[in-house]
Amino acid sequence: MRVVIAEDSVLLREGLARVLADGGFEVVAQAADASELKKAVRRFKPDVAVVDVRMPPTQTDEGARAALEIRAEQPAVAILLLSQVVEATHALALVSERPEGFGYLLKDRVLEIDDFLEAVRRVGKGGTAIDPEVIGQLLGRKREAGPLDELTPREREVLELMAQGLSNRGICAKLVVSPKTVETHVNSIFWKLDLLPAQDEHRRVLAVLAYLRA
Amino acid sequence: MSRSRAAQLLLAAAGLALGLLAYRVQVDNLPEPLTTQARALASVVAAWAFLAAGLVAWQRRPANLLGPLMVATGFALLVRQLRYSHDELAFTVCFLLGELGWVLVGHVALAYPFGRVTDRLEKDFLAVSYAVALAFPLAILLVYDPAERLRFLDPRPRESLLSVSPSAMLTDTFQDAFGVVAYGLLAGVFVGLVARKLVTASPRARRVLLPLLLAAVAAAIWALLNGILTFASFPPPDVVYDLFWWQIISLVALPLALLAGLLRARLARVHVGDLIVHLETTPVDGIRDELADALDDPALELGLWLPEQGEYVDASGTPFAVPEEGLSRSVTRIEHEGEPLAVLVHDPTLREEPKLVEAVAAAARLALVNARLHAEVRAQLETVKESRARIATAADEERRRIERDLHDGAQQRLVALALELKSAQRRLGEAADPEVELVLASTADELQVAVEELRSLAHGIHPGALRQGGLASALGALASRAPLPVTVDATSERFQPDVEATAYFVASEALTNVVKHAGASSVTIRARRDGGMLVVEIEDDGEGGARMDGGSGLRGLVDRVESRGGRLRVESAAGSGTRIVGEIPCAS
Repeated sequence: MRVVIAEDSVLLREGLARVLADGGFEVVAQAADASELKKAVRRFKPDVAVVDVRMPPTQTDEGARAALEIRAEQPAVAILLLSQVVEATHALALVSERPEGFGYLLKDRVLEIDDFLEAVRRVGKGGTAIDPEVIGQLLGRKREAGPLDELTPREREVLELMAQGLSNRGICAKLVVSPKTVETHVNSIFWKLDLLPAQDEHRRVLAVLAYLRA
Repeated sequence: MSRSRAAQLLLAAAGLALGLLAYRVQVDNLPEPLTTQARALASVVAAWAFLAAGLVAWQRRPANLLGPLMVATGFALLVRQLRYSHDELAFTVCFLLGELGWVLVGHVALAYPFGRVTDRLEKDFLAVSYAVALAFPLAILLVYDPAERLRFLDPRPRESLLSVSPSAMLTDTFQDAFGVVAYGLLAGVFVGLVARKLVTASPRARRVLLPLLLAAVAAAIWALLNGILTFASFPPPDVVYDLFWWQIISLVALPLALLAGLLRARLARVHVGDLIVHLETTPVDGIRDELADALDDPALELGLWLPEQGEYVDASGTPFAVPEEGLSRSVTRIEHEGEPLAVLVHDPTLREEPKLVEAVAAAARLALVNARLHAEVRAQLETVKESRARIATAADEERRRIERDLHDGAQQRLVALALELKSAQRRLGEAADPEVELVLASTADELQVAVEELRSLAHGIHPGALRQGGLASALGALASRAPLPVTVDATSERFQPDVEATAYFVASEALTNVVKHAGASSVTIRARRDGGMLVVEIEDDGEGGARMDGGSGLRGLVDRVESRGGRLRVESAAGSGTRIVGEIPCAS
């Protein structure tokens, strides 16, 4: 899988490149700011662009804006945004528009190397990756008595992982349970929340997120 | 007793004596119907009226020449009566000076209220009148023929000490000519001058000058009366006696009216007390009107001194040119502690009421010093508010900078470092010494903890989410970290960074308080725009009884909100939860 990295800190950029290379990705270009990123994407047409939200010159959201432009121009390029801070509203607005090939993670997550590599891979294949903290905020917000309270703790874990964009197989690996168990949990969750079962993973993510945001 | 006071008493006594003498001379020398005791007395009373009014005016307004002028008029009118005497010296002297009385009446009228005649035309008129009033009697005395009757006098012959070549024809001609010039021409011009004065006067001056109408009436009657006596047959028709009484009435009223006008300030000063009370509640732009009212001068102008600019301005702040002291406007400067404070440009007739102007100026000084103090305090308060807001902005900016530096600097490096370590760990894989493997793993874990701590520290200093996602996003994050259920209902509208930061800190500090003290089971945070205000509201279902004082941190919140020009309310009755409402002004 071909990857472009956009990150202004050289140290971190090199680190990411090494981790990705070690993880079997082909890092085709490294960019230090938004314009370099856009140039690199145009030239190399990568499968995934891993983009720092904050970049020079203003250190606000150059990366995010550049990523949006890339999505509009080249829908085939998946985007994984790395952010210093969690920004649930912003992240959800982006993902709801089009969850395919989009990810939003807290920067610290790169330290969970396996999870990070899995997220890049997932996004590159057209999947979704949402930071657990974003989902946590959504779940934290919904505290009024309702169907969510009826979920068992295990079902809740599965729901969070679904919302983060993990596939059933991903959830199996994460929770170290059999695919059968995961499927049972998923069905139970959909039934309890009164959602239509969706086989398509994009729709599943969207449905769960929509439920959590409502 | 001062010398002037003695002089005045002496003049009063002399006037009294001269009056009695004048009465005697008339009664003794003029047969009826030329005079009666009543008419003789009336003539004397008219003269005494000038004398008395003049003396009072002199005493009350020593600097004003009008008093002495009126006294002189009184004497001249008495002297006029003495010309009826058959004593040749008394006749000659008093006939010569007899017409001056009337000119002096005109002079008094035109000199009112300042005691000076300033108008060129009026000056010329008086000069001509004095000349006519002296020249004609002199001419008549030079050619007086005892065979010819002198008008207004009894037919018995008198002796002119100045007679050089008696001529009945010239005596007659001169008397006719005098009649035409004095009664026809000069009296007419005088009435015209009075009318002109009244028409061109300012509204205040016009009211002051109103007594002059009496003078005009007196002059007109005098002209009519003398015209009839000069040209009608002898004995004169009865109408002259009616006219005589009207003339006496206007002649007595004139000096009294002039005196009253001159002393009116004494009455006006009574109102200064009211003025001070009014001015206490009058804003600066209303002070002029109050002063204009008190001084009875609608055209009054008020200039306020600006020490920084070194110029006067009016109430609207427009530069105000102070006119030269002159005939049309008079200038009174108001000072405070040796510095100019204001200037009053008023009607020159007020120069005659210096005490009134002084009192009004003092009242104005009080009000203006007050207003200036108010303005200074307001300005200082404004400065303090501004600097408070600046300090708060600077502090927020500093927090933002530190947060950014932590994220972009230390945190980035730590993450990069941890990543290096972890990838090194992975590369070593099975090959690594188990002990080294352990050290690497625990170091990487420690680093990860450090990164997380750093992130939450930076967040406490300034929530990065606030900058990127606004209030709704930051409050959502805040709620998700809270150890109790928090419902957030926040507008997605964006505000200025410092407004958002203030609202966020109100919410986060209030939430911290709830967690620490309230024993609540749930909290609701609301943020919405209400007109020009961002209203943030934190409500819990805890014990209530929260207080501003003590270490609750609420005091700091109040300071923070007020530094933005907003307000913070705490509703916290014991037992019914706490509601904290912050209102922060935000531009629309």
